[in-house]
Amino acid sequence: MLTAKIKNYRGGPGLFWLLLALAVYLPVAIFMLGESNPLHLSLYGANLIGQIMCFALLALALDFVWGLAGILSLGHGIFFGIGGYAMGFYLLNGAYAETKLLPDFMQYMGWREFPLFLQSFARLDSAIILGIGGAALVACVFGFVTFRSRINGVYFSIITQALTYALMLLLFINDLGLGGNNGLTGFTSLAGFRLADTRTQVGLASASCVALAFAFLGLNAVAKSSFGQALVGVRDDEARLRFLGYRTDRIKLFAWTLSAAVAALAGMLYVPQVGIINPGIVSPMLSVEIAVWVAIGGRGTLIGAILGAVLINTMKFWLSSLVPSVWPFILAGVTLLITVALSNGLWGGLKQLLRRTRA
Amino acid sequence: MRWPVWLAAALLMGMHLGAQAQTGRLEALSGMCADGGDPASALTSVVGHGSTGNVDERAWANRIVASIKGRAFICATPTAARIADGEHQLDAITLAEMQDRISAPPFVPSMVVMRKLVIAGAELDLSSKDVDGRRRAAEQIDKFYTLLDQQIIERLFDRESDQQVKSTLSLALAKRGLDSNVKADRLRSIEIIGKVPGQASRTLLLNVLADTTLDPALASAARTAIVSIDNWLLAGKICSILFSGLSYAGILLLTALGLSIVFGLMGVINLAHGEFIMIGAYATYVVEQLMQTHAPAIFGAYIFVAIPVAFVVCAAFGMVLEYCVIRFLYRRPLETLLATWAVSIAIIKLVQLTFGSQNVEFITPGFLNGGMQLFAGFFVTYNRIFAILLAAAIFAATLLVVRYTSFGLLIRATTQRRDTARCLGVPTERIDRLAFGMGAGLAGLAGVVLTQIASVNPSMGTSFVVDAFMVVVLGGAGSLIGTALSSLAIGELNQIIEPFYGSVAAKVAVLLLIVLIIQRRPQGLFASKTRS
Repeated sequence: MLTAKIKNYRGGPGLFWLLLALAVYLPVAIFMLGESNPLHLSLYGANLIGQIMCFALLALALDFVWGLAGILSLGHGIFFGIGGYAMGFYLLNGAYAETKLLPDFMQYMGWREFPLFLQSFARLDSAIILGIGGAALVACVFGFVTFRSRINGVYFSIITQALTYALMLLLFINDLGLGGNNGLTGFTSLAGFRLADTRTQVGLASASCVALAFAFLGLNAVAKSSFGQALVGVRDDEARLRFLGYRTDRIKLFAWTLSAAVAALAGMLYVPQVGIINPGIVSPMLSVEIAVWVAIGGRGTLIGAILGAVLINTMKFWLSSLVPSVWPFILAGVTLLITVALSNGLWGGLKQLLRRTRA
Repeated sequence: MRWPVWLAAALLMGMHLGAQAQTGRLEALSGMCADGGDPASALTSVVGHGSTGNVDERAWANRIVASIKGRAFICATPTAARIADGEHQLDAITLAEMQDRISAPPFVPSMVVMRKLVIAGAELDLSSKDVDGRRRAAEQIDKFYTLLDQQIIERLFDRESDQQVKSTLSLALAKRGLDSNVKADRLRSIEIIGKVPGQASRTLLLNVLADTTLDPALASAARTAIVSIDNWLLAGKICSILFSGLSYAGILLLTALGLSIVFGLMGVINLAHGEFIMIGAYATYVVEQLMQTHAPAIFGAYIFVAIPVAFVVCAAFGMVLEYCVIRFLYRRPLETLLATWAVSIAIIKLVQLTFGSQNVEFITPGFLNGGMQLFAGFFVTYNRIFAILLAAAIFAATLLVVRYTSFGLLIRATTQRRDTARCLGVPTERIDRLAFGMGAGLAGLAGVVLTQIASVNPSMGTSFVVDAFMVVVLGGAGSLIGTALSSLAIGELNQIIEPFYGSVAAKVAVLLLIVLIIQRRPQGLFASKTRS
């Protein structure tokens, strides 16, 4: 039954319902099931699931441009970071309104009050618009010039990596007033809910599941639409599609901007769950890691990206505390194995395997 | 009857002390103990006597100065003095050991004598044979120029052969001359000081100008001198910026050269390139440690021993990587990116586990220590010059290999038309491996140089890899000349921006600029036009 489903899977709502079920399960497992129940979950566990969902959302966003349109971005950390920082500024505003204490980095800057340009993040809705819209705008501007000058493939990857590096360096500057190397922290509440409250944290984790579910459903629908077909066409033979009269640069630009917005959403959900954001989140190496999650799960399928991100991050949380000095070798080994031997990733390999056994 | 004469003669011979010298010593020292004598000028004449060029007399004067400093100088009578030497006392003129002991308090130098003592040692050192010692002494004299004795210094100046000491002394004399009462002396001083550009000279001249009753001729001379100093300082600043740009370019070129073969020619996105640099640096570290324990005599040469070692180690490592991983991925360049990323995290962890994650310290070989002042405000350090020269040499060697050797020809053939090359009998797989090894080895050489400039730790590679890629992409993949020119451009531009906005902002600005340029010229600045 299941094997047949996997084999013939073309992106249906199954994962969507699974993620929604997880969103419902989280509060149930924490508040209703007793400690003795094997399905009981600690708050720490729920928090981890929430974080992993954010990473899966990020991987989903990357797979949408890489797997479908063939644009390997090493700059998705930028959009994740923009979303994260927007959320961070919003939370800082809230903390300042409560405690009337300026964050350390602002005191270091010699500021007496909350600076005006950060006050624009004071409301949650404006912060969301600025975060997601800002990331989309950055992606749109960068994508517009880059796709128009027909930079693609390897060069696109390298340029996005350079931009990630540049942004990280910028954020590390303490004099810029964006938090400097310590980043943003000391958050208290989100939209009136105390962040220290268990219910808020569980709610955020559930919200991450829901966001991932709907993002998956949405992007899957786009992928199956004629636009999605055009994206695959761009990936496989852009020149031919261009000769057929398609404006491939616009097709790519739309996919790229959409992907950036989803990545920013992931960042916005991530920050209140971990309680801190610092420039390390936009390090070039971390952005490569996102691509690794997607590659391991299997790109071009969306579901594979989620699978890879969940798998690798679960292993990371588990193994990097259990055997911290071995974890990098495991990750390296898995990545090498997949890239050299299983280029369609785990999901693709699984499908292949099932198809072969049936035949 | 005759033997006491012989004895006296032998004594005199033994002490190498002629009658003439003895008289000189007596004269020089005469004012020291006499009632109403002037100890300060006596001290000056002691130094003067010691700086006539005779080694023994200089030793004697040194001894006198040291004894006064050390409160061992005793005035026995107004005309005779002694130096306490442990249990014994020596005659201050002959330095011969005395049979008796005089219990008198030591000579207590006055304030004036104390000040004079500070400079006396330096003045005596100016006659030493050791050039470095003379340079230090000259600088000491320049520092305390108000105390120097003009006649002595002028005499030493005439005898001096080293240009640096000479210029320092002339500056000191000129500074002294500024306070002179004779207008001609002051004018000459201003002119001399104007020829020695530097902040200190500038301040001195400004002080001269601050005097409102200054003679107009002197004032205009001072102003001219300040303008000339300012011009020199500006020139020095510009030269410094250009030089640091050049040295930064050298580092960029070194880090990018290997990548320009691996990425530019072979199309492999080697994210582990930075780790090869790091391995090269650690190979240098191992060589340094081994030579410290096993060959301390030639320790300073460790950097030259490390050059072939690092190259071979990294090249071997690169070839293993190529054999195990890269060769399966030549037709999927984006996946080389993921695979080499995996290799890089594994290497970083491996080095962390072996050597620890903190910075490793290097002992800089003597010849790379310090630097030289070419002119005011333009100071070049030897390690930077070393980096520039080595970068140029390695670049030239790489260019020669790629362009003019049969190996280079095969590399180009393989990377440009793989299938055709194979049909013509080129062992493309072996060429790939060797070329990748060469790229990795070049990265290792960058590591050797970086040990003298950057901090060496397991994660050092990640900070270089992005820059290296930008250099190669800007220069145009596949063009070694392009790589060199783009690293020169990036290096200079970076250092020109840096003084205004800081190093991080300069780096960001340059990165953004490169991204913009690539938008206009996606194939890089110096790529040959191809139809692909």
